[in-house]
Amino acid sequence: MSFQEKNIAVSLSTFTVILGFYLIRIFQLVQSESFNSTNVFRLWGIIAILAVIGTILATIFTHIAGGIVHKVRTNEDPHIEDIQDERDQIIDLKGTRVAYTFSSIGVALSMLTFVFGKPPLVMFSLLIFFGVLAQVIADIWRLTLYRRGF
Amino acid sequence: MGKGRIGNNIRKLRFFRDEMTQQQLAEKVGVTRQTIIAMEQDKYSPSLELAFRIARVFEVPLEEVFSYQPENELT
Repeated sequence: MSFQEKNIAVSLSTFTVILGFYLIRIFQLVQSESFNSTNVFRLWGIIAILAVIGTILATIFTHIAGGIVHKVRTNEDPHIEDIQDERDQIIDLKGTRVAYTFSSIGVALSMLTFVFGKPPLVMFSLLIFFGVLAQVIADIWRLTLYRRGF
Repeated sequence: MGKGRIGNNIRKLRFFRDEMTQQQLAEKVGVTRQTIIAMEQDKYSPSLELAFRIARVFEVPLEEVFSYQPENELT
């Protein structure tokens, strides 16, 4: 697995965990009848911080752990091929296009709930859900392109 | 306008350069080994600049490395 693929796999794992955490928290808020703006916006903040810090820490940890395992197995210093060439950039852009497409669909669906008379908090909750989901789908698409060769 | 097929002789040219490894070629042209693999398997068509860099490494004209077959000539 190349350096770029590892980064995408880490991002995919992190955002899948974040998505799971978000859905569980929203479910808990609805169950306990505390689905109000204070709690929902606090959750927004937590998700944003988790997304940034979680991805950075997970990436650092993965490369350190991967380097140690490589050294133990082969007794060679790990060679990190951290250049991003034109193929990596095209795959990245294709993933971003998928992310934008799904986020746009998500925004439209979120707006529809508003149109159908649901409270604004439902729309805001769906917005972040579709945002994170779009990131997960984009990472899956990028990994698929890498696995297929292009 | 349909897509044609861009083929290449990179594998053969590497063989005639003392079995140059994919990693060595990748380092010379500034891409990852995975990109060389994708090109050899005809899964990825490089940019014009990368194509020229590869031709320069093998010291041959571009047409000796890459070939183009239009869609209507594909069998």
